[in-house]
Amino acid sequence: MNPDPLAVTGVPRGYDLLIRHLKERAMKLGEFALAMVHDGWRAFDEGDLTAAQDVLDRAAQLDQMDEDMEHASIAFLVLRQPTAIDLRTAAALLKITTHLDRMGRLGFDMARITTSGTNGQKELAELHGLLQQMDEVVETMVRQSLDALGGDQVELARELFQRDDAVDRMHRDANRMIVESLEEHPEMAPRLASDLLVARHFERIADNACKVGEKTIYALTGQRRSEYLPRHPFRPYVLETPTNQTTRSRK
Amino acid sequence: MAPVKLVVDHLTAYYGAKPAISDISLQFPDRKVTAIIGPSGCGKSTLIRCLNRLHETQSNAHVEGQVILDNEDIYALDPVRVRRRIGMVFQKPNPFVTMSIYDNVSAAMRFNGHHSRDETDKAVIRSLQQAALWDEVKDRVDSPATSLSGGQQQRLCIARALAANPEVLLMDEPCSALDPIATSKIEELVGQLKNDYTVIIVTHNMQQAARVADFTAFLYLGKLIEFGATEDLFERPQQTLTESYITGRFG
Repeated sequence: MNPDPLAVTGVPRGYDLLIRHLKERAMKLGEFALAMVHDGWRAFDEGDLTAAQDVLDRAAQLDQMDEDMEHASIAFLVLRQPTAIDLRTAAALLKITTHLDRMGRLGFDMARITTSGTNGQKELAELHGLLQQMDEVVETMVRQSLDALGGDQVELARELFQRDDAVDRMHRDANRMIVESLEEHPEMAPRLASDLLVARHFERIADNACKVGEKTIYALTGQRRSEYLPRHPFRPYVLETPTNQTTRSRK
Repeated sequence: MAPVKLVVDHLTAYYGAKPAISDISLQFPDRKVTAIIGPSGCGKSTLIRCLNRLHETQSNAHVEGQVILDNEDIYALDPVRVRRRIGMVFQKPNPFVTMSIYDNVSAAMRFNGHHSRDETDKAVIRSLQQAALWDEVKDRVDSPATSLSGGQQQRLCIARALAANPEVLLMDEPCSALDPIATSKIEELVGQLKNDYTVIIVTHNMQQAARVADFTAFLYLGKLIEFGATEDLFERPQQTLTESYITGRFG
């Protein structure tokens, strides 16, 4: 007589321990990447070259953690041939690893464009305030994505998409401010070019946090993004020309 | 969804007064491979044996419900005619041990009426080719069937079943007595056979079901728990029982 499977579901098994172990490794990678984002921004914002170098020195370890995580996920797939939630979790972790690695890389990129001193913050106070706000929201999103992953929290993961919309708006505002500032303070072009990159990096980090949330939802429910969050209909971007006559679209 | 070849409608099969499978309704798509999985004693073999009226050949066994092959209830037809249209391959290779390879394959034709030697030769070659055995035995078709390896004997049994020109091929754990090399040949063969036949395969091996089947049915304690596209069933099953079984969370 077969036992009632409902009565034994959830009993810890080798599989569960292995998956827990995989998740813990992903969380460590995520914490490492988050610290690189945090410290990369701080170094850039404060013009602290020593702090920036410290972030740059972590790149090799980030790579190693990414590779180790990928290896562990593939080994789990090959050796355990998982199905259902176990399969989805292993597949999701493979993708999540890539997104976490990218976040760390973007922290690295912020450190890389750090220059000595905090020149320009007074003149560009509004822009500086906006970038600080982006940092706060984006770091919160990364933290939230890790909490959703580690705590199996679908709703927490879903909240990320709303925050991402806010980051996108801030990114557009930052771009506008930078263009205006370039006209007003052409002498600050180097600094503004870096700010443009940082705003873009924050926007990308937020996108990667959303991807972590998306994969977490897939692992836990089997739902793919298009099943709960229909993609925006294609909207052609209209490029303005001096005469505002010619338009073209891109994806 | 492919057109339906075989419909099982509220089928219950008994041994004495005890039902081995209860109220199963299921549709087998034409020219697709459908796997039936489930733990020992769940009724997989009983179900498949109801599909060509083998179940009723056991004492005290009977069925209720219908099995409809192309709009005809097979329980209203001559059972011999049914078995001509729905062939079967068993767990252990069971060639006619006193016969040659050629005679094993041509046996079905002889039982089904007179055919010229030329017709028989052509049918034997075609069947052995379809069973992916011809190249290995073409120089020794008069050798005893027992001179073949286990895997070759199983393919000989498949050739023998195909020689009767069936429309549906039932396979009851056809690889359970075979080594991995012979197993992979049979699995590859199943993939080819579905071009011409509707294949229904009972297997204990979930990875095998995932590899060979387009659709999978999960049985538990004589009930059909879930039926669907194999990819969906193994990636995101809809029923907790299915999830518990395929992830190994039974006991």
